[in-house]
Amino acid sequence: MKCKKCNSSSALIILRKKDLYCRECFLANVTHKFRSSIGKNKILGKADNVLICLSGKEGSTVLLDLINNALSLDNHKKLRITPIFLHLCENYETIKNVIEQCQKYNYDLYSPHISEYVQSKSHIPIVNSLPIVNNELIEEYNNMQNSMLPTVKDDFITNIKRTLYIRYAKLLNCKYIFTGETTTTLATKLLVNLAIGRGSQVQSDVGFLDSRDMEIKIIRPMKDISEEELKLYINSKNLKVNDKQTSKENEHTSLQTVISTFVSSLQENFPSTISTICKTADKIGLQDECDNERHNMCVICQSILKPDEKAISALDATSISKIVSLRKHTDSAIDVDMEKNVINSTIFPYIHNRLCYACSRNYAEIKQSKIPSYIIETQK
Amino acid sequence: MPVPCKRGCGNNAVLKRPKTGDAICKECFFWAFETEIHYTITKGKLFNKGDSVAVAASGGKDSTVLAHTLKTLNERYNYGLNLMLLSIDEGITGYRDDSLETVKQNRDDYEMPLKILSYKDLYGWTMDEIVAQIGRKNNCTFCGVFRRQALDRGAAMLNVKCIATGHNADDIAETVLMNVLRGDIARLKRCTAITTGSEGTIPRVKPLKYTYEKEIVMYAHYKKLVYFSTECVFAPNAYRGHARALLKDMEKIRPSCIMDIIYSGETMSIKEEVSLPTQRLCIRCNFVSSQEVCKACVLLEGLNKGLPKLGIGKSSKVKKLLDEYNTRQNNLETAVKDLEDCNITDKKTSKTCKNISNGFKQKECNATNCCTNKTERNVEKNNEKLQTVLDKYSLENNSQVKLDEEDSDDSEIKHQDEDDTCSSSCGRLGVGF
Repeated sequence: MKCKKCNSSSALIILRKKDLYCRECFLANVTHKFRSSIGKNKILGKADNVLICLSGKEGSTVLLDLINNALSLDNHKKLRITPIFLHLCENYETIKNVIEQCQKYNYDLYSPHISEYVQSKSHIPIVNSLPIVNNELIEEYNNMQNSMLPTVKDDFITNIKRTLYIRYAKLLNCKYIFTGETTTTLATKLLVNLAIGRGSQVQSDVGFLDSRDMEIKIIRPMKDISEEELKLYINSKNLKVNDKQTSKENEHTSLQTVISTFVSSLQENFPSTISTICKTADKIGLQDECDNERHNMCVICQSILKPDEKAISALDATSISKIVSLRKHTDSAIDVDMEKNVINSTIFPYIHNRLCYACSRNYAEIKQSKIPSYIIETQK
Repeated sequence: MPVPCKRGCGNNAVLKRPKTGDAICKECFFWAFETEIHYTITKGKLFNKGDSVAVAASGGKDSTVLAHTLKTLNERYNYGLNLMLLSIDEGITGYRDDSLETVKQNRDDYEMPLKILSYKDLYGWTMDEIVAQIGRKNNCTFCGVFRRQALDRGAAMLNVKCIATGHNADDIAETVLMNVLRGDIARLKRCTAITTGSEGTIPRVKPLKYTYEKEIVMYAHYKKLVYFSTECVFAPNAYRGHARALLKDMEKIRPSCIMDIIYSGETMSIKEEVSLPTQRLCIRCNFVSSQEVCKACVLLEGLNKGLPKLGIGKSSKVKKLLDEYNTRQNNLETAVKDLEDCNITDKKTSKTCKNISNGFKQKECNATNCCTNKTERNVEKNNEKLQTVLDKYSLENNSQVKLDEEDSDDSEIKHQDEDDTCSSSCGRLGVGF
């Protein structure tokens, strides 16, 4: 068995069912993908503080190892950043594992609890210890989550994490954030984005860089590495991953799980699926990037709020459907524009004013009293 | 417990609208359905007063409902449109011949002129003949490419201002997903536009863009419109099947996702540095193309030269294949010439000519054979979509419609058989994964 790259006969690793690599070439390749994504984009400065967000899953395990390797180099390739590690605590099982993982490399870990989201301010937690939170916060957080349908909940948690990452980055004096999303997760995320009306936010949610926040940039250095490579990397380096991942709820309950199952099964039969989706994602941009005018931002996901320019959009069409389904029967023409405002307050609350289309759609579905009040009230 | 209509008209609701979840009575549903389309037409400025509009009619539910609604709205709101039906006969025995009968029925019912163009007349080939050449795989490429151009040609002949097509919201959402999966950024960009067509071409409009397929099925059912609901006898478009299956699964979880996907497509923008193919006119046939020679011409060339795979796959390979073909032909010709020079009279040349023309004749004979094999088909057969939709969205305890009860008993029995066909066809889709 010959390695595709170096022709040595010790190839042990098979990628994409056909490409053979030896262990060294494979690891070098993964490392290269990680480094080149950072290098190509020339965003990081020297000695910047970077908040590394770890979930404890496979992606974050490999991210931690890659960063450690890059820091311990002794040549010009050394990664010149100061890493600060953060884990958002959702359950106490995982957090012990992540602390253990970090201590193996001699890194400190900050691990605040995710329920911090319900209050508008947080403090820097004590390193390497379980978060101290009062039960009221946790209860409020759980109540909020339980009031949501699975699709909304999934989307909302993504935004909660993003908000908290940025909040702690500011507290810990970091300008940049690294997250461990792989091509596989990003391909799924692109389709999810489309399915919930976030088409205009694809570049920020799926691209290499999320620059929606004015101060903090979120970077996805693992975006060219696939799940297959992750698994092989973990195996060949004998890394320990926390296997006890919270079991996913019933498979077909949220759009996210349906899409994720769809992508992985399509990938089985058409091995180019994920890379094609990601290439598509790379070509989708932000609306009016060059437009320097300050627009309002969605208070939940920080995307730019801009009313639709088209004469008619799916948003209008949905409002109309609602109007004609509720309005008393008359044959006279309806003053659509006037009624639209009334209807929108129920089916699209705060649309284009404080919330984007997708967040507004979600907000309408949530029992609104459960959302922490500071979110809608602050700003404006 | 009968549910009252949400619009407060006093009647009992007969269905729950898939798009908004509101329960509504039959009359209010008709009104709501039509008013929404009216709003789409006026707000989207799809037509101008006095325009001639060709409705692309296949005989299926979407185009039947489109023709019916446009006629209704044209009279109700005084659009002043001159509506006509335009159908394309692909020459698919057992499918299109039957559905064209439905279109003819529409022509009589809606009193609109009907123009039918056939692939045979336009291109010299029917789909039956093409499938005989290319096989069951890839034949949808021919059919789709040819149909697109055939509609343009038909619209030019009818001298209309625009073509209205029956694409519904589900179709568009599905296309968005499919274009992402295929990485087709150019199509992704234009597939959600309500009006498409570059300068110098006849624009196409989609008045049903925001109308859910389920509501179209129910509208046709309650209005008792005649439509044709058999799937094409040739292999269904496999790749679209994946996108369709995904969309159906998602719709079950969150019905609004169809609108959300369309909204995503509408608000998405393509990075400036991405180069997109520019639309221009084909140098051979003068219809829209993104290449020097349009796909229809390439496919046709392939068929006529006996290289049916010519237009399948990469367009960069077309030239190479054609060159090879030409050198082969040249070799043949020089060989023939050599023979001529050797004074073996015209006999040989005429023979090769004959061979070629024989080939053509044979094909034509086959075609006429096929066409005479018309089978009678029951239009109502296979109407599983309607049944599933009704099953899910029409409200039970429909006590006020006692009269219809006999009918509904009947349909319930039918429904049971059809449930089976449904599961088997869904199963078939699943195999692809």
